[in-house]
Amino acid sequence: MKTAMHRILFPRWPLFLLALYLAALPARSVHAHAVVTAHTLQEQPVKPGQPTAVALFFNSTIEFSLSKVQLVSGNDVHHTVPIKAGKKRGELLIELPALEAGNYALKYKVFAADGHLTEDVLRFRVAP
Amino acid sequence: MQDIQGIANFLDDLMGGLQLIAYCIAIGSVLWTLRVLRPASSDAPPSVHSIALRLLVRSAWALAITQLVEIVMKGIVIAATLDELPLAYAGTVQFIAGTVRILLAIALGAAAGRVARNPRDANAWKTLYGMSVALIVCGAWLVHAVGRFEYRELLMSITVLHQLAAAVWFGGVAQLVLLWRLSQRDPAAWVFWPQAVARFSILGIWSVAGLLLSGSVLAWVYVGAWDGLVGTGYGSLVITKVILLAVALGLAWLNFRSGKAWKERGDTRDVTTKTPFFIEAESFVLISILFVAATLSSQPPAVDIPNLTATPVEVAQMFMPRIPEMESPSHAELMAGEIGRIAIVNKVPSVAGAQWSNFNHNTAGIFLTTMGILAMLSYSRRFPWAKYWPAGFVGLAIFLFFRSDAETWPMGPMGFWESTFGNGEVLQHRMATFLALGLGVMEVKTRARENLHQRLIYLFPMLCAFGGILLLTHAHSEFELKTEFLIQSTHTVMGLLAVLMATGRWLELRLASPVGRTCGFLSICMMTVIGLNLLFYYEPVW
Repeated sequence: MKTAMHRILFPRWPLFLLALYLAALPARSVHAHAVVTAHTLQEQPVKPGQPTAVALFFNSTIEFSLSKVQLVSGNDVHHTVPIKAGKKRGELLIELPALEAGNYALKYKVFAADGHLTEDVLRFRVAP
Repeated sequence: MQDIQGIANFLDDLMGGLQLIAYCIAIGSVLWTLRVLRPASSDAPPSVHSIALRLLVRSAWALAITQLVEIVMKGIVIAATLDELPLAYAGTVQFIAGTVRILLAIALGAAAGRVARNPRDANAWKTLYGMSVALIVCGAWLVHAVGRFEYRELLMSITVLHQLAAAVWFGGVAQLVLLWRLSQRDPAAWVFWPQAVARFSILGIWSVAGLLLSGSVLAWVYVGAWDGLVGTGYGSLVITKVILLAVALGLAWLNFRSGKAWKERGDTRDVTTKTPFFIEAESFVLISILFVAATLSSQPPAVDIPNLTATPVEVAQMFMPRIPEMESPSHAELMAGEIGRIAIVNKVPSVAGAQWSNFNHNTAGIFLTTMGILAMLSYSRRFPWAKYWPAGFVGLAIFLFFRSDAETWPMGPMGFWESTFGNGEVLQHRMATFLALGLGVMEVKTRARENLHQRLIYLFPMLCAFGGILLLTHAHSEFELKTEFLIQSTHTVMGLLAVLMATGRWLELRLASPVGRTCGFLSICMMTVIGLNLLFYYEPVW
């Protein structure tokens, strides 16, 4: 009886434990094949009280219609901002609204042509 | 929604590796039938043809399914990001090339099925080869070179050749594993076994040459400089791949030697007593390489991030011996620092967070190093009690239970049941803890040679390899690319060592002494080095 039970149960044990292990894997994963190699925030800083266009340059072709950029302000409040393709390859144009002086960040999620999703943050300051 | 995205991302990762494995087995199996079984000659028994084609059919289906899951997962990730799934997704290169690959994989599986039913059907063979070529070419639009601006077409072509070479090697190894199992119950397959090993060795040499040549070009273009090789996630994975490749090549060389001995002198000793198990171990290593390769495609190439590259000195500092952190900040101190650490705009690095993590890693290092030393002693007859060293996993599990989730019971305000079933990450930690506990108990029984089910003794090396692969493939960078890489560099080394540890333990279980025992001892040495790595672990403040 015990042998029969073993035959039934034991061959399934490894699979069960492997399945359990798979389920236990941490789900943290952020792809980052595409990265920003340059941006205009340093050369042309955002001035307070006026809308600004910011350009990000990626190392890879980007699917713009499947990408999203959020402006994050002081208390980590997120606002989605409009984006469009720039003239150069891999150039993403972001239209920022008029901002008050303070610390901000651009949080972007872009879908690259190779199928990988990149998520990253670019912090900047609007000087008074 | 964030949880769905996390799971979808993880499945996307996993599918990348599984897809590469399925692709390699499918394409490698086609070349196996062509060059090793040689349908035109009749020296390979029908049963061998039959299992080879069955594996080909299954891997083709697996390729179609994993590709489909990947397309769906990417769709879920995009929908979670944009709060909708735009139709534009169907127009992306990935969607189109992925769909074509699914159709071609199904066609390949169907063609292989036709060949299996009627091996003399010349048209079925032609279809099989035609579909294979189409599948290989289609892969060019699914590699990361497709998004590059420079040398796009050239890099796509070289990557396809690299994948093809890997497919010949891994597909052949998978077929050899299957053939060995068949030979245990089929005398005709037993007779054919040495012939297959000898023939595959020649094919293997060509595939390794192709792999090294194409891999060198890709590494040259994507890494660019020595600093990038040492100081980026991409570069460190390339180094890992090279080390694993060297191990796989060493095992392949042993098999080549056995095949040669059989061919020249008719000596079947090694080819039947060692080669099958070396091939099993080789498959472990090759699977790890394929997962690393899949992860490489989601890393930013080192050549693109010169400003985010760590210096060799910074990387070396991560591995320097230092006094372990034996004092943990209080729970209140940790929680106070977390608010600033997770802020996006006004981010404040948390010293308490780094110290908490150091304490966790360093204490885990004490557990593993002690277990490693005891395990080494267990190889001497003078210390029979040392064989119970895996009991340390039970202690480690208890430690993990208390320390892995600071915000939950018994350390934090969240209750046990509320946190376990209300938070996906906590649930995963609890399950991992339970597994460590189970593994400890099971491995104690194995080492003590208690009456344990035969298959259960292989669970430990399998899970070690799996854990190693996990550490290697989760080398993704989050928001602080350089800091995250420095942290990941230690985990990448541990992942590599875990795969080698698994390989050693597997060989110990499969091979007779003294070779098996030596492999087992080396495996324990790897575990001790992992322990030391954890003991000296140091997390930069971020």
